[in-house]
Amino acid sequence: MAAEISSSEALAWVAEVFEVPVEKIRPETRRDEIEAWDSLGILTLMARLDEDYHILLTEEEIQQLQSVGDILNFLRKRGLLRDDQ
Amino acid sequence: MRFLLVDRILELEPGKSIKAEHHISSDEDFFRDHFPGFPVVPGVLLTEMMAQAAGKCLDAEGREKGKGKAMLAQIRSAYFRDWVRPDSTALITAEVRTNQAQYATAVCAIEVNEAKVCSADLLFSFLPMNEFAPGYRDEVLETFLASRKHGKV
Repeated sequence: MAAEISSSEALAWVAEVFEVPVEKIRPETRRDEIEAWDSLGILTLMARLDEDYHILLTEEEIQQLQSVGDILNFLRKRGLLRDDQ
Repeated sequence: MRFLLVDRILELEPGKSIKAEHHISSDEDFFRDHFPGFPVVPGVLLTEMMAQAAGKCLDAEGREKGKGKAMLAQIRSAYFRDWVRPDSTALITAEVRTNQAQYATAVCAIEVNEAKVCSADLLFSFLPMNEFAPGYRDEVLETFLASRKHGKV
């Protein structure tokens, strides 16, 4: 299993996946506010989750991800994210 | 201009890895412009060679599973370490890292005269075969698979 990451590390990871500066995203940032979160962005997200955390996203899970916070919650549920102190 | 940048498959493990080659003739038209007096193969063509080789590796497996044809979706990284001059033979390798129903990733490289000249990390999606012309087939891949079936590889 992949090592746990902090909330700030997870945010930086999401920013890298969608090629946005980390200061431009917050948990509240919605999918439609991130230009690269399109069909290619979803493929990129799926591939990175697979490569970095060995997680395969289902179609249903993809549909449920509508914000950066949803991705963080998903990582939290999978036991990969520990909240910053 | 044709856009077939893999001449021959040397080794293939469907969906996992491939080794292939492409000869770059000094007659290629692009050398007239890229560049006068210093002809070198454009990086975009080297990247396409790697994408075509990796695509054949994925297609070899995809045809068995009905996944569709692998299409380059993203050049995640690419590095060009040395010039590739006219009359070179590129040895192209690709190792598939992840391979799922909707996407695949591959780490690819090209060697010329046993020296690595470039490498790339590529992301592929899959397009259903019914999007292509009826009867469309990959002759290079078909030739390799047929020769393997007959024990020639």
